[in-house]
Amino acid sequence: MSDLVPAATIESDSPARRPGTFSAEEEAVVRESLRRCSEKTIEAAVAYRKTGSTAHLPALILGIFERFVEPDLRPRLAMGDSDDLRVIEDLGLDSLTMMEIVMLVEEVTKTQIANDELRHLSTIGDIKAFVDCRARGLPPPPVATTYASAALLEKMPIQPPFLFLDEARVSAVRATASYRITGQEFFLQGHFKDNPVMPASIMLEALGQLGVCYLLTGLPVEEGKKVDPATIFFASTDGVRCHRVCKPADVLTLSLKPKRVKAPLATFEGNIRVGSEKAVVAEEITLTFGLMDAPTPALAPAEAAPTPQAG
Amino acid sequence: MPRVFITGLGFITSIGNNADAVETSLRELRHGMVRYEPFKADNIPVKVAAPVAGFKTDGVDQEDWVIPAPYVVKREQLRSLSANALYATCAFQQAVADAKLSPEDVSNDDTGLYAASAGSPAMLGHQINRMREFGVMRCPPLGVVASIAGTVQFNLVAHFKIKGASTGFSSACASSAHALGFAHDEIALGRQKRMFVVGAEDGNTETILPFAAMRALSINPDPETASRPFDTGRDGFVGTGGATVLVLESEDEVLRRGVAPYAEVLGWGQASDGHNVAISHPDGAGLASAMRRALKASGVTAADLGYVNAHATSTPIGDASECKALRAVLGEHASRVAVSSTKALTGHGLSLAGAMESGFCALAIRRGFVPGSAHISQLDPICDGLNIVRATQPVSPGIVLNNSSGFGGANVCVVLKPAS
Repeated sequence: MSDLVPAATIESDSPARRPGTFSAEEEAVVRESLRRCSEKTIEAAVAYRKTGSTAHLPALILGIFERFVEPDLRPRLAMGDSDDLRVIEDLGLDSLTMMEIVMLVEEVTKTQIANDELRHLSTIGDIKAFVDCRARGLPPPPVATTYASAALLEKMPIQPPFLFLDEARVSAVRATASYRITGQEFFLQGHFKDNPVMPASIMLEALGQLGVCYLLTGLPVEEGKKVDPATIFFASTDGVRCHRVCKPADVLTLSLKPKRVKAPLATFEGNIRVGSEKAVVAEEITLTFGLMDAPTPALAPAEAAPTPQAG
Repeated sequence: MPRVFITGLGFITSIGNNADAVETSLRELRHGMVRYEPFKADNIPVKVAAPVAGFKTDGVDQEDWVIPAPYVVKREQLRSLSANALYATCAFQQAVADAKLSPEDVSNDDTGLYAASAGSPAMLGHQINRMREFGVMRCPPLGVVASIAGTVQFNLVAHFKIKGASTGFSSACASSAHALGFAHDEIALGRQKRMFVVGAEDGNTETILPFAAMRALSINPDPETASRPFDTGRDGFVGTGGATVLVLESEDEVLRRGVAPYAEVLGWGQASDGHNVAISHPDGAGLASAMRRALKASGVTAADLGYVNAHATSTPIGDASECKALRAVLGEHASRVAVSSTKALTGHGLSLAGAMESGFCALAIRRGFVPGSAHISQLDPICDGLNIVRATQPVSPGIVLNNSSGFGGANVCVVLKPAS
């Protein structure tokens, strides 16, 4: 089997469904395609193609990213939260490099990713999840929602000068956001005298605001209901550690993962980074919320008023 | 009209990868020819080429290339480069440093870039082969910009953030002389204050060897004598590659920045043979006309000339045509004006030739020498009446004329004058 096989054939020939048909020539092709990747990456690819086990995919995909990012950013990929890394903003890869990455993933895993599918994949985690679903023959995971600043202002019950998110991105399993400390925040005048430092309490507030954004994105919490924006409040936090002082011009990268979401409580774990440096970790952040009746989408298709941009 | 000066040079050539090395080669008549490994097959009659030293750019995967210090090219940029665009990138950096330009001087509305390159036949061939073999979706996304004829200006304009005029010229061996001429005009017409002129060629099997089918290449296997313009034994040209970048600036900019120019670009002229697609006019009619126009545009006559850097590529017909044209234009001054072809040392750089040789002339003007015409053991009688200088002379060349001729009978001549 060569790379020439048309897409339809590849789909039906997917190794996930037909393990054990991986020839020595095919292995040689895989090794050649991945010759600039680490041995670990090549081994993961070979193991995947031999067994069809999707357990090998994360290492394979991470290894392919590692090959394309500039050497000074590679250590960042080795950190535990690499799934949250945004391909363009955090790894400095442009859309053409992304295309090269996708071509290599396609070639080695014998999958196909169409251009319009590619547009929705912005983090390493997105790509891993997408390829995993594709390899298992499952439909791709729901598309994440990206909010530019205008969309955030429209969506959020919290407004300036107390909104600490510049842009956000929410999927079923993760929410990420960024906030650039401008230095003009009113409280920095007094925190501290002649030494503006972002208060830790405000950083937790920012994570909480990202939780609000997550809850309001409209992911189903209960049949026929949705979260009432006027009912979300901070409930508790636990296991908070601050690692780094954050100052004006720092860009905070916020990341939140839902642990339990069931009315009236939503619990997340979250962290904030500045570049590759850890700033804040919160093992638990819990919000309370109330529900309201949600019109069914069929009756009110124009309900998605904020028109967030898809990534 | 604003006067135009050359204020910076960058060289990646077969006879040196910086101005000092080039000067040494020109003074000591050191050539860049080798027995070229890719030509060793028995069915290739040509054995000699003049590759760029220090770089290793064979192979279509740019990440396999070897790029000598001090040049560092990130993968993100490298993937859209062909070999000639890589050479141009390096020569550009040299020229910017040589002209003492700040990043703001390079990137502004008043600074443009004109380039000349035939693209990269090697890259293009690879793209097309891969498209046929694996389908277009398995081709590198930037394969197009790495291979087609505009590759040099696409890459340099984007990478160095050029904001003024930019385009490429495609008149084969006259291309970069055209680029220089029109870049001069951009400044002389007041449209730009500064122009980069770039000539570049891959200089590999794919750019050079097709000329063997035309019987235009020397089949002399000896690197010492394969390229010998004006010699009776000449039998064709030797191919080369590399890049040259010239920085052109208006007088105002020269004064504002307080830099010492290499030379003034007095003017230029062009004319076409209207004769044959690949063979020069037997009397060099178009070339003679181009020389006259260049002198007229520059406000000088043959009496003012000190040196002509001839196009002479070492082909039997081309050199003969140029000798006739030179005699016709120089007239009573033919026996005085020094004439040489530096292609005896460098080989023929095709699209690179005009910029490279104008760069040599600018260097010769500033450093005070007249490059000799190497490898002549028996001067062809067609040169009778001309002052072909066979050794480099350590004297200022005065006003210089640089000739270039390309396919289709395009002829371009540029006049340079010591800056004053």
